[in-house]
Amino acid sequence: MNIPHLTFQDLLPVAPAGVLVVGAIVLLLSEVFLSTAQRTYQAVIGTLTALLAGAVAMNNAFEPARAALQGYVVLDPFSQWMTVLVCLGTALASLLSAGFLNHRNAERGEFYALILFSAAGMSLLAMSAEFITLFINLEVLSISTYALTAFLRRGPRPAEAGFKYFILGAFSASLLLYGAALLYGATGSTRFLDVGLALPQAFAQQPGLVYAGFGLVLAGFAFKVAAVPFHMWTPDVYEGAPTPVTALMSAGVKAAAVVALVRTFLFLVKGLSPEVPFIAFSALALLSMVGGNLLALPQRNVKRMLAYSSIAHAGYLLLGVAALFAPATAKGSDAVGLFTATPLLGSMPNVAASVYKGLLFYLLGYTVTALGAFGTIAALERREDETRSNTWDLERFAGLAQRKPGWAAAMAAFMLSLGGVPPTVGFLGKLYLFGAAVDAGLLGLAVAGVLASVAGVYVYLRVVVYMYMRPAPADAPAPFRHWTTEVALIASAVAVVALGVLPGPVTEWFSRAGMVFGS
Amino acid sequence: MSHTVPTANYLILAAVLFCMGMLGVLLRRNALVVFMCIELMLNAANLTFLAFARERGDSIGHLSAFFIIAVAAAEAAVGLAIVIAVFRSRGTVNIEEIQSMKH
Repeated sequence: MNIPHLTFQDLLPVAPAGVLVVGAIVLLLSEVFLSTAQRTYQAVIGTLTALLAGAVAMNNAFEPARAALQGYVVLDPFSQWMTVLVCLGTALASLLSAGFLNHRNAERGEFYALILFSAAGMSLLAMSAEFITLFINLEVLSISTYALTAFLRRGPRPAEAGFKYFILGAFSASLLLYGAALLYGATGSTRFLDVGLALPQAFAQQPGLVYAGFGLVLAGFAFKVAAVPFHMWTPDVYEGAPTPVTALMSAGVKAAAVVALVRTFLFLVKGLSPEVPFIAFSALALLSMVGGNLLALPQRNVKRMLAYSSIAHAGYLLLGVAALFAPATAKGSDAVGLFTATPLLGSMPNVAASVYKGLLFYLLGYTVTALGAFGTIAALERREDETRSNTWDLERFAGLAQRKPGWAAAMAAFMLSLGGVPPTVGFLGKLYLFGAAVDAGLLGLAVAGVLASVAGVYVYLRVVVYMYMRPAPADAPAPFRHWTTEVALIASAVAVVALGVLPGPVTEWFSRAGMVFGS
Repeated sequence: MSHTVPTANYLILAAVLFCMGMLGVLLRRNALVVFMCIELMLNAANLTFLAFARERGDSIGHLSAFFIIAVAAAEAAVGLAIVIAVFRSRGTVNIEEIQSMKH
């Protein structure tokens, strides 16, 4: 019996998740011992815990990349910055929830505790470097999110959304797990490091087993990031879930899944022909970018429209992932195609660092923007809307500029940022990400992405047009006011504009994320 | 060792169970049956882990199975609660009738 010797250094990467879990336990206990009528303090505890965990993760982000806990997790800037983003999203989502739940008399400590557990799962998922660890953290994050989705028990929508999310989430997790089992059979290990080492030989002996495992793991991840054609659950789940939870799902869950996907496939592609992962990711990226934007076009329901838009954003992120796996062919072909990489300077530059920077900056932009956009929608919802079908219709935004100029300006900033219009953070994120893709020679795919996002701009501008150029209906209800909602919306609106104009040290910090363990 | 069942048989059984589960999730209409099919898929993965672990004689596969069983139990607790919430709000667990949101 050999007990592994663990040092403080080993526990460093999981410290942010530890802070989140402790905060969640405090919240659960607060529901037992401090149950007062006024529960806004729980949102404040949730927010402060998330900010503290974010600070811990930010401190970790400057450590050199290395494996920890015997190679079951890794400590590298990429995953730690992702944790910072998740904590930022969690803090904003907790603040948004306070007003939202207060308005519905549903404020409970367990809601915030579930948000923090889910954030801990996201943080650990991003740093997992072993299949069972990955699976457990994926389930920690998913099970908390299923419960959050079905948290409100009024009206039929939340239970339906929770049910659909549960079925497809559990289905995708089983796909991933079976793929992991097959890869374990082929390589004899579940640790990514050992899997990567054993894969070339395993591929030579049993290519069928390796391909099946690769495909199943990829499909499992594609469900989680909601890439077309694995996106069917997204609109219904995003529409039915409580709006602050939708915001957390669209930003945090997706970010964690993308980072875990990158981490997993950095090791899984070893030994495979380089075209296979490249074409797989390019196809997913193309389908999601085009499909998400086209499906969003006919939507009058703004919440559902943002669900489709999140699919398109998953596509842009996958474009970055595809750039990461672009085959470095020495013989440069001049053909420009959707699924070919055309080296611009004759040889393939090493784009990994700029791709990681692009992915992180894009995720940062999407986190603050999506939280703000869904937060504005949440503030315009009425409690009595829960059984109606036109809750989130565009008409709800008509004339908002006259009634609430500040809110309309914030929402306009969020919409422009989602569309990628300067001077917002969404524009800079797209610039970095598409720039990295072009450097990697993905000309055809990058052009397709830009065209698709132009189609998306129409969708976002339509909301702005309704807010500024349509008269308000006579019976338009005023948005409810709660100081936490206003703080969250002001913070995200300021972040969207400020980071778009002056990214400041953030770009510099993210550049160091090029140090990814195993790349 | 000549009387033991070869690993390939376990793997084929696991693959058959996995495919049955997958088809069940995609084709069946009763929410509880769909739920059972997901459990079937997880157990297929378990069986695969165990078959490979037995062939190689290492412990990681056995440990994985324990973790998967624990996680599946946690998932079942939340999943059944959600199915009950659906049944309470509509009086049915037929998936085709759980379609209130427009496409």
